[in-house]
Amino acid sequence: MKYDLIVIGGGPAGYLAAERAGAKGLNVLLFEKRNLGGVCLNEGCVPSKALLYSAKIYDYTKHSEQYGVKVTGSSLDQEVVIKRKNKVVKTLVTGVKGALKKNNVTVVEKTAKIEKKSSEGFVVSADSELYTGDRLLICSGSEPIMPPIPGLLEGYQKGFILTNREILDLTNIPKTLVIVGGGVIGLEMASYFNSAGSKVTVVEMLDRIGGPIDEEIADLLRKEYEKKGITFNLGSKVTSFTEKSVVFEKDGKTLEADAEKVLVSIGRKPSTKNLGLENIGVETDKRGAIVTDSMGRTNVAEVYAAGDVNGVSMLAHTAYREAEVCINNILGKKDVMRYSAIPSVIYTNPEVASVGETVATAKQKNMDFESVTLSMKFSGRYVAENEGGNGICKVLREKNTNRLIGVSLIGNYASEIIYGAAMMIETQMTVDDLKELVFPHPTVCEIIREALFSFNE
Amino acid sequence: MLESNSVQFFVHNTNGGTYMATAVIMPRQGNTVESCVVSKWHKKKGDKVNIGDILFTYETDKATFDEEAKIEGILLETFFEEGDDVPCLLNMCVIGELGEDISSFSPEGATVKEAEKPIEDKKEEVKKEAESLTVQKSENEDLKISPRAKNLADKTNVDVTYANATGPNGRIIERDIQALAKDGLKVTSAAKPAYDQTASYNATGIGGRITVEDIRKGVVTPVETVTVSVADTQDYTEEKLSNIRKVIAKTMHASISQMAQLTMNAAFDATSIMNYRAMVKNNTERLGLANITINDIVVYAVAKTLLAHKDLNAHFNGESIKRFNKVHMGVAIDTPRGLMVPTVFNCDMKSLNDISLEVKDLAGKCKTGNINPDLLTGGTFTITNLGNLGVESFTPVINPPQTAILGVCGLVTRIKEENGQIKPYQAMGLSLTIDHRIVDGAPAARFLKDLCTNLENFEMMLAK
Repeated sequence: MKYDLIVIGGGPAGYLAAERAGAKGLNVLLFEKRNLGGVCLNEGCVPSKALLYSAKIYDYTKHSEQYGVKVTGSSLDQEVVIKRKNKVVKTLVTGVKGALKKNNVTVVEKTAKIEKKSSEGFVVSADSELYTGDRLLICSGSEPIMPPIPGLLEGYQKGFILTNREILDLTNIPKTLVIVGGGVIGLEMASYFNSAGSKVTVVEMLDRIGGPIDEEIADLLRKEYEKKGITFNLGSKVTSFTEKSVVFEKDGKTLEADAEKVLVSIGRKPSTKNLGLENIGVETDKRGAIVTDSMGRTNVAEVYAAGDVNGVSMLAHTAYREAEVCINNILGKKDVMRYSAIPSVIYTNPEVASVGETVATAKQKNMDFESVTLSMKFSGRYVAENEGGNGICKVLREKNTNRLIGVSLIGNYASEIIYGAAMMIETQMTVDDLKELVFPHPTVCEIIREALFSFNE
Repeated sequence: MLESNSVQFFVHNTNGGTYMATAVIMPRQGNTVESCVVSKWHKKKGDKVNIGDILFTYETDKATFDEEAKIEGILLETFFEEGDDVPCLLNMCVIGELGEDISSFSPEGATVKEAEKPIEDKKEEVKKEAESLTVQKSENEDLKISPRAKNLADKTNVDVTYANATGPNGRIIERDIQALAKDGLKVTSAAKPAYDQTASYNATGIGGRITVEDIRKGVVTPVETVTVSVADTQDYTEEKLSNIRKVIAKTMHASISQMAQLTMNAAFDATSIMNYRAMVKNNTERLGLANITINDIVVYAVAKTLLAHKDLNAHFNGESIKRFNKVHMGVAIDTPRGLMVPTVFNCDMKSLNDISLEVKDLAGKCKTGNINPDLLTGGTFTITNLGNLGVESFTPVINPPQTAILGVCGLVTRIKEENGQIKPYQAMGLSLTIDHRIVDGAPAARFLKDLCTNLENFEMMLAK
C-alpha cells in the first residue's frame, strides 16, 4: 500500500493537514506516538483553559461582593477540576479522531522513523513495519527545554519538578509553587495556582514577563498579579534545584525559594531527534528546527514541515495555517505562509492579547509609525464589568501606508477580540477603511474603533 | 415548454415581422476563436452601405479579415469601437432604413449612443453624478478603455484605473473589467497607493493579494515553480511572457530574420590558459586577485584581439558600419528571469583582474534584478559561454546591431602528435557568428585564428 502523503505527528499541524489532504482525496497516513491532538489538546492550550475557567469562576465568587453579590463558603475542588479537564480533552480528542476517520485518514498510533527515499517513495518504519508514501509532512512538534541545571533531572524524575504535562494533572494544590520562566505557560499556571491558593513565585531570567508582549502591558499584568500575591523575581538566573527549593541568582545575590512543587517552563524546542531526518538529508538549523521556505517546503523535494518543528512561531494556530499552506502547495495551489498577523494570547485574568508589531519591534524595524494607547475605560462594557480595572489598548499605525500594524490589549475578552485586529492587519486595510466598520455596542472591542479615531490625520 | 415558446415568440417579434433592419454579427473564424478584435471601421454610423462594401476589419491572433455588407441600406448603429475585443456571433452593427428602431439589436453590455437611449433627465443627472464619483480616474486622458468596458465598469462599479489592460495598444477591454469585477483588485488597500499596475509583483498577501511588503520588495519576474502534484490534472502549464522574455524574443527574432548569420567553429589548445588560471588560483590570496575564471581569460583575450579586427567590433544598421576604437564587451548572463547581456565598458583597457571583478559584479546584479539598465546597452561585441554545460559547438545569435558574437564551448580531450609522440591535451571550442552582410568569412576566420593563437600563448599575449 502506497500513500500519497505520510504525516508524522498528530498535533494541530499534523491532524489538520491530514484532514485537509484527506478531504481533497489524497490517501493519507498519519503517525502519532503519544496522543492524537498533540501537546495543544492533551497537555497544553486546551486543558489549561479548562483549569483557568474553573479558577475564574472561583475568583468571581471571591470578588463578587463589590458587584453586590455575596457568596460564602466557596471552595475549589482540584480533583473535580482535573476530572472535568480530562472530560474536555477526551471530548475534543474524540472529535479529532472522528474528523480523521471521516476524511479517510489512516491513523497509526506508533512512533515513526523515516528510513530512506526509494524509487517507490519515502519509506517510514514503525514497529519494524514499513510504510511508503509519495511525500512527507513532518509535524513532530516540540518539547520543553530542560537545561542542564544541577538537580533538574533528579527533581523531574522524583516528581518534584514538573513540566506543562505533569502540572495539568496535579490533583493536590501545592502550598508553594515556584515557576521557572515567566512566559505564556508560566504565567497561565501562575494565574491558576494563585487563584487555587498556592503561594506562587515566578523566577524569570529577563527583566520582564510575557516574552515579546508590549512592555507596558507586561508591567500592568505583573503589577496586577503582585497585588494578588504572586512574587516575581525578574532578571534572575536559576543555578540549582534542591529537594525542596529553587536556588537562583538575582542582582549578584544568591537567593532560594522554597517549593513544594516546581514548574519549569522556560521555552520549547523543536522535536527532531530520532525521526530519521538524516536518512533523507532534511536540513535542520542549530536549534534542531527543520528549515522550511514560505511554502512549507524543506530542502528535500516533496518533504514538507509544519508546526512547532520549524521553530518559527510555535503556536497551535500558526501550526494550523502552516499545515494548510503545505497541503495547498502539495495539491498544486500556490499558498504562502505569512507571519505578520499571528495573534498571541495569554489567558491570565485579565487576558492579554496582541497581534502584529509592538512599539519595540516597530522601532527595531525602523517603521514610520505612531502609537495610540487608550484606557479600556473608554469602553462602556468594560467599565460596567470591571470594578477597578485598568486595562489598556495599544494600537500602532504605519504612517506612510495608513494601515494598522499592531494591536495589544490587556483586559478580559482580549482573547476573543484579537482576531478582529488580526484581520485588519492581515488584510492591510487602511485606517480610513477601518473607520467605516460598525462595532457592536456596548462591547470591549469598541476600544479598537476608539483608537482608530485617535490617530493624527 | 411554455417558457421556451414565449422566448421564441419574443425573438421573432423583434427581429422579423415588420422590422427591416438587419444585424451584422462578428463572424466566428474557426472553432477555437472565441472573440475577435475590431481593427478598423470602414463605414461610419449613418453611412450608406452597398452590398460588397467593407464594413469593418477584424483580427484574431493569427489573421486579419474584412467583413463585407451582404445587404444594402444605412448603417444605423455600431455597437463596438475599434480596439474592442468582441465575442464571436455578437451583433456588431445594424443596417436598415432611417428611423427604424434598432434598440433590440444591442448586444448586452455594448455601447449604445446616448441619443438612442430613452432619456429621463433626472435619472441621467443622477447617473452622471455617480459616474463622476466612481470613475473619476477614468477621466484621465492617458487611460485607454473601450466603451463597452467603460460601460461594464460603470455597471459593476469597479475602478477602471486598476484594470489590467490586455487589449490592443494597452487598451482596457471588457474582459479586463470582468476580471477586475470578478476577483477584485488583488492588492491590499494599504498597498494601493504604491501599486504600479504595469509592474508584476510576487503576491504573498491574503487571497493572493499584493501587500505593502511585496511592493517594497520590488518588481519580480521569476515565477516560483509550484511543486507538481498528483492532484494537478492538467498536463501543461501556460504562462504569459514576462517583459524581459518578450524583449529577448523580439531581439533574437529580429537578429535572425534581418541578418545573414554565419557561424564558424574552431578549437584551441587550452593548456596555456589552464596553466595560467591554476597559477593565479594558487596565488589568489597572496596577490589579492579575484577568482579569475576561464571565461574571464577569454573575455580578456577577445578584447585584446578585437581591435585588430574592427569589422567585428562594430555596429551595422544596413546602411553604414560604425567601427569602435574601444571594446565594450557584452557578456551573456543566464539569470532566473532569462538571458541578460550587461556590458563591460572599455574592456580593452582593463586588466584581467578588473575584468574578472566587473563581470562577477554585473552577473550578480543581473541575477538579483537590480542592474542599471544603462549597463545592458552599448556593447560592441558579445561573448556567450555554454562551456560549463558541456556544449561542444553552437550557433550563437548576434545581438543587433553588433556584427559578431563569440560562443565559448566546453573543454574536450584531444590528442596531437608532438615529436612523434601521441599526446592528449585539453581543447576548447569557439563558435563565432558573424553578420555576413558586412563581414566576410575569411576576415572572420583570421580573427578566430588570431584569438586562438593568443589563447594558446596566453602568457606571451600578456607580455604584449
